[in-house]
Amino acid sequence: MIDHHLDMHRNIIFHGGVSVKKIDKEVADRYFRERTRNIIIYFIVWFLVSFGVVFFAEPLSQYSINGFPLHYFMGAQGAVLTFIILLFVNAKLSDNVDKKYGIDESKNEQISSGKVFEH
Amino acid sequence: MDTQFLVSLTIILATFALYIGIAIYNKAKATSDFYVAGRGVPPIFNGMAIGADWMSAASFIGMAGTIMLLGYDGLAYIMGWTGGYLLLTFLLAPQLRKYGRYTVPEFIGDRFDSHTARVIAAVITIIISFTYSIGQLSGSGVVIGRLFEIDAKLGTMIGVVLIAFYAAFGGMKGITWTQVAQYIILIIAYLIPVIFMSLQITGNPMPWLSYGELVGKMGELDRELGISEYFAPFTNGTKWQFLALMFTLMAGTAGLPHVIVRFYTVSTMKAARWSGAWALLFIGLLYLSAPAYAAFSRFILMTKVAGSKIAELPAWTKTWVDTGKLQVADGNGDGILQWSELVISNDIVVMATPEIANLGVFVIGLVAAGAMAAALSTAGGLMIAISSSFAHDIYYRVMKPNATEKKRLSVARWSIVIATLFAGLIALNPPGAITQIVAWAFALATGTFFPALVLGVWWKRSNSKGVIAGLLVGLGVTLMYIFAAKYGGFTILGIIDTGAGVFGAAAAFLTNIIVSLSTEAPSQKIQEEVIDLRYPEQMVYKNGEVWMNDGTKQL
Repeated sequence: MIDHHLDMHRNIIFHGGVSVKKIDKEVADRYFRERTRNIIIYFIVWFLVSFGVVFFAEPLSQYSINGFPLHYFMGAQGAVLTFIILLFVNAKLSDNVDKKYGIDESKNEQISSGKVFEH
Repeated sequence: MDTQFLVSLTIILATFALYIGIAIYNKAKATSDFYVAGRGVPPIFNGMAIGADWMSAASFIGMAGTIMLLGYDGLAYIMGWTGGYLLLTFLLAPQLRKYGRYTVPEFIGDRFDSHTARVIAAVITIIISFTYSIGQLSGSGVVIGRLFEIDAKLGTMIGVVLIAFYAAFGGMKGITWTQVAQYIILIIAYLIPVIFMSLQITGNPMPWLSYGELVGKMGELDRELGISEYFAPFTNGTKWQFLALMFTLMAGTAGLPHVIVRFYTVSTMKAARWSGAWALLFIGLLYLSAPAYAAFSRFILMTKVAGSKIAELPAWTKTWVDTGKLQVADGNGDGILQWSELVISNDIVVMATPEIANLGVFVIGLVAAGAMAAALSTAGGLMIAISSSFAHDIYYRVMKPNATEKKRLSVARWSIVIATLFAGLIALNPPGAITQIVAWAFALATGTFFPALVLGVWWKRSNSKGVIAGLLVGLGVTLMYIFAAKYGGFTILGIIDTGAGVFGAAAAFLTNIIVSLSTEAPSQKIQEEVIDLRYPEQMVYKNGEVWMNDGTKQL
């Protein structure tokens, strides 16, 4: 059964014909770097609004926002809202990166459903 | 039988009929459907199902009360249980989806090409999910017990029968759509009392905007009473405990098998990213409301209940005092209930506040139905994780590779029934409070699966010996710290048992890396499969080259 999975890879390469073409490794690496850079930026923001704010909770407590002390606001609302926004930004920007590199979602779906590990 | 009982019971039965109806309608026929709903659930609905799976009795019943009692320190739960979705969606979910396996143990077993790793992962999945489900079952016992005014133990038994029934017969597909319905019920049940309380107290129907001034006002009341301000940081533990707990809850989120398996039900990596985003939006609705719920409850208790004459306390106090979760002893004998004389368990704040605020029988019944939805939906997902670990990863992949699909399905169903009964047995006499049991499950996931999965997906050099050593050391360190902190009074930087995951994760990462580097590298094929996870489905990495598949070839 595990061999079946391997065979699928072989099919792509050896029986590929018109359906499969080689692309420059450099292009694929650029795709990966672009996605990774975005994710690192999201994690920096994620860290600052949660761990960063908690670490400086005492000095931040003298400021207030919408009636809340700032550190409380960040813990109860600010951080959660930032997380939600980051996830949607990631979903949208990743789609854009995919599009830029000519990735077609409907083809991903076909490949993906073919790749289900059948038993 | 009073009106409240009849109304609550009617609402709960109506919602149950809905869930069971959906489960029967979708009765799973094939194993693929049973475990991962045929991988065709659209992201927005998958997001709701993740939300229902995620928000357990601890979130629904316990969290607002925990925040009310701990003040700012309770917000570690809010940030921890939401921030983990970034780790999950950025680092793990899309890559695990591309790898294309059914369960977490299956990923670990195949990625590291080791039956030993597979069995250890399956056993850890069972330990984590089982621990977690004990909390859910005792939570459902509290709700059912309160409703029928029967012993919580009897309530737990009723919950066990319900969970075993629809998890075993619906499978994941039944559960996915059932959980969409459960999410809708539980979020409505949570928001209505918060909105009503906001209107009652501030005249503003938007609780998220209106409770800020209450937080400040309660700080003033606290100063008058000479107790620490509601919003003051680190009054119930050290800053390091806050940070460690938050990290444990975040990394645990990304390592919980019953949550990860949800991301196998989407069609592609892209769909996994969107599912994560929708899930946190739906979860965020409840998590943004919980601190408001806490603030309104505390304000009502401080201003309307505290200060009244003991002899004239409203009827709701009697029922809750009887459950042992509320104490209103007149300590100084002046006939008046002072704030300090009111002792409320964090587990009843959400359930009791609608009664305290006098929101009417319908709202109170709805909250009971929502609490049941939260407990049952999470327990259902946990049971699927347990049964797939046993029936799929241990029974089928290791013990009986030739078992027929019918046989495997029957093993899966029986393992659900047995696991539910066994968890129910322990839930009759739980080893800790609901939130505490749940926190241990997170610490275990943080110390075991989080490091194993992150290294498995992102580091091709991680090998089977590394992951086996990492899983065992992480499990051992986490368990030892939990026991040492809880029973031995041993702490580092004031970090208690709930923050144990930090040490487990550090030990597991180190062990995995050191052992992997000092033993032979994984095969070329495995290393290529790991690099392949960097790219979308259409790009295939093979022999150091990248191929673009246009999908016209059916593989």
